[in-house]
Amino acid sequence: MAEEQAQSKQVRSKQRRLAAVEETSGPQLSYWPFVLAVALMIAFVGIVIHPILLGIGVVLTAVAVIGWGLERR
Amino acid sequence: MATRTVVEGVTLERRRRFSETYFGEWVMTTDHKKLGIMYIVTAFFFFLVGGMEALLVRTQLAVPDGKVLNAEQYNQVFTMHGTTMIFLFVMPILVGFGNYVVPLMIGARDMAFPRLNAFGYWIVLFGGFFLTSSFLFGQAPNAGWFSYAPLTELTSNCGPTAVRCTPDLNMDFWALGILMLGISSISGALNFVVTILKLRAPGMTINRMPLFTWMTLVTSFLLLFAIPSVTAAALLLLLDRHLGTHFYQAGAGGDPLLWQHLFWSFGHPEVYILILPAFGMISEILPVFSRKPLFGYTFVAWSGVAIGFLSFTVWAHHMFAVGLPPVAQAFFATSTTLIAIPTAVKIFNWVATVYGGKLSFKVPMLFALGFVAMFLIGGLNGVALAVVPFDYQVTDSYFVVSHLHYVLFGGTVFAVFAGIFYWFPKMTGKLLNERLGQIQFWLMLIGVNLTFFPMHILGLLGMPRRIYTYPGNLGWNELNLLATIGAFIIAVAILVFLWNFIITLRSGEPAGDDPWDAFTLEWDTSSPPKPYNFLVLPVVRSRRPFYDKKNPETADWKTATH
Repeated sequence: MAEEQAQSKQVRSKQRRLAAVEETSGPQLSYWPFVLAVALMIAFVGIVIHPILLGIGVVLTAVAVIGWGLERR
Repeated sequence: MATRTVVEGVTLERRRRFSETYFGEWVMTTDHKKLGIMYIVTAFFFFLVGGMEALLVRTQLAVPDGKVLNAEQYNQVFTMHGTTMIFLFVMPILVGFGNYVVPLMIGARDMAFPRLNAFGYWIVLFGGFFLTSSFLFGQAPNAGWFSYAPLTELTSNCGPTAVRCTPDLNMDFWALGILMLGISSISGALNFVVTILKLRAPGMTINRMPLFTWMTLVTSFLLLFAIPSVTAAALLLLLDRHLGTHFYQAGAGGDPLLWQHLFWSFGHPEVYILILPAFGMISEILPVFSRKPLFGYTFVAWSGVAIGFLSFTVWAHHMFAVGLPPVAQAFFATSTTLIAIPTAVKIFNWVATVYGGKLSFKVPMLFALGFVAMFLIGGLNGVALAVVPFDYQVTDSYFVVSHLHYVLFGGTVFAVFAGIFYWFPKMTGKLLNERLGQIQFWLMLIGVNLTFFPMHILGLLGMPRRIYTYPGNLGWNELNLLATIGAFIIAVAILVFLWNFIITLRSGEPAGDDPWDAFTLEWDTSSPPKPYNFLVLPVVRSRRPFYDKKNPETADWKTATH
């Protein structure tokens, strides 16, 4: 019984590691949209709260735009 | 562009990446279906926030001399109620439905620009947090959702004498928040336009597009042309507030009316941005539950285009009371009355669609019919407001509050719930509970009318909007109490929906791929659809491609000429 459970656990874990080809057929995943949005929010918060935050936001925005542009598709 | 070819069969074995974890999948996704769901869930969260703000407002006004909120808190709460509901609930939830449904409806595998799509969502989320976080500073926007200058200026030159206007951060939060949300709207609108114009399935000509897609296209153009106006207005306001310009300060040679023109030349198209996708949803749902094709498809589609054009010619009907020249008043009164024509065309066509059909009163149909009735009331009292002398009498009164809530709550929110009940099975593979849905519908119908109908009378009795309290001797007491009871009935209806949502996700009835025997392509996919939507792109030969596929003997393309 314990052996069976261990086996099925192994199978489930293996299944989780499987990447079906159909998953790769859609548009590629990307974290740059998320990063760019965070960067813009930091910049906007910086406008309200402190120029240092604004500076960080602007730099991050530049990084995100460049990262987005250079991302392999 | 999402144009890759689909290959099935081979599997690779490797370690999971961050993007394959549950959390990573959602953070990094560029799939229109996931983003659609994220938009809808986020918008619904803000609906609950805005709803609680509404309950605070109604509790404060339930009885004379209310003590729940003080004047400043009231200003912040009602301003954020309007701002949240418009910019963080209605707009995102309609974009969410568009995101989920439009690519499926037109037989596409994704939106044209998937990463831009993801960016639009994240900006809405963070813009919403940014705006709402203003409460943490005790400085939420407090000048109403249309933020009239010079009330929104800092301290100097904001009137004939230098008095304090809005010296704290309240309006900075508003202006910057609107700029952020504007970025999202523009990116979303561009994406929809390109997707709809370029990624339709073979054979889906523009005159075969589903009506929801049509209305999303029109709305996207409205956004592209309307958002720059409010963006410019907000930027000028920020310049006035922080860099010493005087665009809106009469005392220094500026013009406060410039704000109103800029704001309303965005603000009135915005009303149609909020209602046209709802029209599209209703035009999808009524035919399915009437077992008939939509009556007058061409008229319904092109009347949406006409509404879109006319919506840019009516903005100053919000400004009759500022003292416009008679010629301008006549022009804007006429154009406003004119816009009722294409709107009525839609309503007549919906009625004709239902007439003689084999009606099935499932919950989506109930909400769709409720929409038609409630929107009709909102539309008719809107036409009344186009009459200049009448507008003089009721401007800035509760009559106007009633009108806009019949349109946006009785109209758009009913359509949104119709859409949720209709497409939920596609999104989750489960059917929302019918009985709970019916209870929710009737509670909402009663609640909406109990809340907003008395406001007509309150307006005619002279109750101004935006007052935080009132004395008890003006004859407004009972009507205000009724409106508050109605608001709490709506709240109960929303709780019923949340309960329905939870139990359905836990143990809902399986929906199958096509629970409504529907006509359009999104139902020709599994529920929920595969990541690639369609293994083989469908070929379209009529306006009801999925109906054709299911009924080859009586397919539309055999008889229809379009």
